Amino acid sequence: MRKWLFKKARQASLPWRKAALGVIIAAAFLLPAGAQAAPAGCAALQAKYPAWKGKTLVNAINPHTPGYEAIDPKDPSKYVGFDIDLGEQIGECLGFTLTYKAVTFAALLTTLSSGQADIVISDIYATKERAKAADFITYSKVFDGVLVAKDNPKKITGINTSMCGAAAAENTGFVEVPLVQDLMPKCKAEGKPEPTLQLYDNNANCIQAILAGRADTYVNDVNTVDQAVKANPDKLEKAIAVTIPYSVGIAVPKDKPEFRAAVLAALIEIQKAGIHMDLLKKWELDVNNFKEPDILTAD
Amino acid sequence: MSLFLHYLSLPYLLEGIELTLQVTALGLLGGLILGLVLAWMQLSRFWLLAAFARGYTVIFRGTPLILQMVFAYDALPHIGIKLPAVLAAGLALACNEAPFIAEMLRSGVLGVDRGQVSAGQALGMTPAVLMRRVIAPQAIRTMIPAFGNESVSALKNSSLASVIAVQELTLRSTQLASSTFDFFSIFFASGLLYLLLTGAVAAVQLALEWLLDLDRTSRDRRLADLLPWRRVDLLTKLELAEKAAPTVAVDAAVQPEIPVPPSKMLTALDRARRAATIARNNVAVEVRDLCKNYGTQTVLRGLDLTVRVGEVVALLGPSGSGKSTFLRCINHLEDWDSGIVRVGGRRLGFHDDGKRLSPRDIANERASVGVGMVFQQFNLFSHLTAKENVAGPFRWVHGMTRVDADRRAHELLDRVGLSHRAHALPRHLSGGQQQRVAIARALAPNPSVLLLDEPTSALDPELVNEVLEVIRRLAIDDGLTMIISTHQIRFADEVADRVAFLSDGAILEEGPAHDVLTNPRHPLTARFLSVMQADKALEAVR
Repeated sequence: MRKWLFKKARQASLPWRKAALGVIIAAAFLLPAGAQAAPAGCAALQAKYPAWKGKTLVNAINPHTPGYEAIDPKDPSKYVGFDIDLGEQIGECLGFTLTYKAVTFAALLTTLSSGQADIVISDIYATKERAKAADFITYSKVFDGVLVAKDNPKKITGINTSMCGAAAAENTGFVEVPLVQDLMPKCKAEGKPEPTLQLYDNNANCIQAILAGRADTYVNDVNTVDQAVKANPDKLEKAIAVTIPYSVGIAVPKDKPEFRAAVLAALIEIQKAGIHMDLLKKWELDVNNFKEPDILTAD
Repeated sequence: MSLFLHYLSLPYLLEGIELTLQVTALGLLGGLILGLVLAWMQLSRFWLLAAFARGYTVIFRGTPLILQMVFAYDALPHIGIKLPAVLAAGLALACNEAPFIAEMLRSGVLGVDRGQVSAGQALGMTPAVLMRRVIAPQAIRTMIPAFGNESVSALKNSSLASVIAVQELTLRSTQLASSTFDFFSIFFASGLLYLLLTGAVAAVQLALEWLLDLDRTSRDRRLADLLPWRRVDLLTKLELAEKAAPTVAVDAAVQPEIPVPPSKMLTALDRARRAATIARNNVAVEVRDLCKNYGTQTVLRGLDLTVRVGEVVALLGPSGSGKSTFLRCINHLEDWDSGIVRVGGRRLGFHDDGKRLSPRDIANERASVGVGMVFQQFNLFSHLTAKENVAGPFRWVHGMTRVDADRRAHELLDRVGLSHRAHALPRHLSGGQQQRVAIARALAPNPSVLLLDEPTSALDPELVNEVLEVIRRLAIDDGLTMIISTHQIRFADEVADRVAFLSDGAILEEGPAHDVLTNPRHPLTARFLSVMQADKALEAVR
């Protein structure tokens, strides 16, 4: 049931850098099927952007999203998921390796801008607001799922007035937070009670809030919602999938346009080689997520 | 259950403990160092240091640790300080712990009996020696439970390092819960691991308390005595009970008390001869026009007194007349506003040009001039045995070797009839015995002058005589120069060469002891004496 979780394991957490190196080397030899060879265009990119070749960069992640980024339950010293694989592919293409720094979702961009991390590939939606703190290279469309208790007792049908009077669990800093907040005046206008927001700092806590009966719904990336339903099929269900007008992006520091260009170029190579699509299939994600890269900046 | 056990023994979580301990250790050690500095600054004589420390305390005690963690991790890099996550967490925890530890240290230091500090100062201990030998050993004992609390709280607070990517136990637990959905098994396991850690801290705390327990000696108490059933045992088994708590009452029965001789009233001829001898002696203490105020209240108004070598002066007067303050000015335990005090011709506490000495130099001068002091409340160092109370200052102030100091201490304790109680703690001695040890301690450096501040006022009536007899011998047999404030009129008559009657910060009347006591000229003196004697009569009737 959870084969998506341990199909592939490659990278270690920060304190285990040496072990991580060993694992990377071993993985390179033992799992050639998982680690696809870098596309041909990458050699040219490494020549064009030599500054990151041979470097070890820090990827800040919020590893609470199985399928995208979470620790490997079989070997908790490793992080696994679509975002992890994509990051490693970009690194392989440009010649750098990645170590990981696990932070809360709200701290992802702060960690980047304080220089404690070099890149953020952690299922973060690229918004204009967030682009004030970092530049984004978008790579995926967003489909949200509405997680509710089994049989949807509050009959919630999305981020609309069906949520009036309900308690919504969300992660601090998630784009869904302002969407729920925007409902408040609408509910009031219809003479219904306002929805309440409960802010947590990771997916597990949001899901627990519904399991404990504290919250009625949790709106997040549809894959995350699906995983939660898989883990608790008799207690949870997905009410509906909704489209959110954002893309998922890789965040890079605002003051490093050359790095941004290098990552963008590498992503294009990876997509051209079909690796992006392969990874979506490998992690059982909807291939409709696929998106050609764009740059999103504040100005 | 099996999942719970699986997570309890999962190396991934156990390795998180290592980081939890690292952050905790950094926080506690750093907090202790910073806290020591802060406490020192707050107790400092310099107001600027104290104000700075106060400001730091307000900020770091008043903001949440989680903000401090994020600040150390994410804000410091903007000014060029990029610490690894563990160090940043340790720094934040240390900065946060410091004010709490400083307050513990400060209350521990301030909690040590002020009288013992005065006694140490009077013995010529510098502030550093006083801190190391008297204040710290007592303060540390009282602070252990608070330190235990603080360690447990630091250990738990280290979990907040999870917000800045330190892979400690809590962060590992939440990540594991996110990827396995085994929420409760994981958090129960992690909770139990925390309990084991905090349990270890509690065990260390109890062990330290036991080790530093002053009443514990190898034969008196064993760790097992702390067990509840053992305590019941102590009640039933007399033999054990006696070992555990040697009572003063039992002791008093076997100890050779100093025989109290019949009144040694000197004849008029003896007195005249003694007075003539003293009149030829050098001046030991000279006080000129001494004035002192506490705020708006005047305590001493222009006191003059000259005491010659070998002379015994009794200060009489009602409570609050300024007797104690006057004595404390003589060895400069108190500052005064105007006037001059000379001991052995030296202005204690001042340079030749009249500038004030630092506390440390005053201490050294006290030691070299030699002004002993005996206090109303004995002020023995309560963590030291009778022998150590006497021998300690020899080593710490006068640089004597342990062997010599011990030998001298035994001689002195013998002199006050207490050599058999040398190894008893002050709290196991009666009041009279404590005061005799205090006298031995004051005599230890062979002082040129001994100041006695109501030495028998805190004693039960039946214990007064043993102390008076010791003082009597010092006056009559040893010819020691003494200034005694007392309410014992008969004793003053027997021992003092002169009495001075103080009222409201001034000497109203002074003269040869017998003359003033039997034939007071000032009406206030007469009234005071008649009241004191009426009290005595009343006591006799009762």
